[in-house]
Amino acid sequence: MELSNIEKLLEKYFEGETTISEEKELKVYFTRETVPSHLEKYKDLFQYFSEESTIMAAKDLKFKRNKKSKYAWVGVAASVVLIVGIFLTQPTISEPKDTFEDPEIALQETKKILNMVSKYMNEGKQELVYLNEFENTTNKLLK
Amino acid sequence: MNNHQPIMKERAFIILTNGFKDKLFRMAKRLLVSNEEAEDATQEILLRLWRNKNKMAEYNNIEAFAMTMTKNYCYDKLKAKETKNLKIVHSNYRDERTSLQKQVEAKDSLDWVGKIMDNLPEQQRMIIQLRDIEQYNNAEVAKVLGINETAVRVALSRGRKKIREELLKKHNYGVV
Repeated sequence: MELSNIEKLLEKYFEGETTISEEKELKVYFTRETVPSHLEKYKDLFQYFSEESTIMAAKDLKFKRNKKSKYAWVGVAASVVLIVGIFLTQPTISEPKDTFEDPEIALQETKKILNMVSKYMNEGKQELVYLNEFENTTNKLLK
Repeated sequence: MNNHQPIMKERAFIILTNGFKDKLFRMAKRLLVSNEEAEDATQEILLRLWRNKNKMAEYNNIEAFAMTMTKNYCYDKLKAKETKNLKIVHSNYRDERTSLQKQVEAKDSLDWVGKIMDNLPEQQRMIIQLRDIEQYNNAEVAKVLGINETAVRVALSRGRKKIREELLKKHNYGVV
């Protein structure tokens, strides 16, 4: 393009009266290798504009809210499973049943078991005799 | 259940928004300057769009709508920052920061243009971003910013002239 034409376009450009296609012409002209020295200063401007239009956003869109609700759903499911599990594993209380036909035999059997328990308890208590030693010494000291 | 209106899937939404996601990012970066903040702003705008996806059919130009959302979001962020900075000014921290900023000079001449743009008023910055970088026409710019086309042209011219002025200054200093 002729130099005079470019100068005219530049004038129009700074008045804000160029069209988009005329501005494209300017951009093409000023991104060329050689430009007359008095127009050199405008090279930076138009080169800057074309360079800036290529900048891209680095991050991709993340649907953070969506992810949160997904996890919330997992949490709800887990707690439902937990509650159901607790109810299922709760032991059912069974009614006591009679195991003996004759109440007399039952009484004897019970006595036998109770005797056995008391025998073991007494056996255990024998070991406690040693503790009396402590009592003896404290009594000595106190009196 | 599928007899109701079709619900947009994530995949389709990503494909749709990929068409203008980078433009949202560049717009946010133009206003907020920081890369990190611009990324966050882009995420937030897309998530807001996603939440309102059922209403999307009502908008005839989703891209323009998303751009307007980005503009408003960044304005709010800047306003919040301004109030924070006021506190800093009171405790005299700000001076130190500006002097530090001056030390970090533009690395090359293209960065210099960016620096000039950062110093323009927000509206001019946005108009130049949309017009000279994204190549929106004035009607589209007007729609995104909610102003009329004449106002767009006037601010565009002012912004461009300001950049020219600064470029000339730098050019002349370079010669001397």
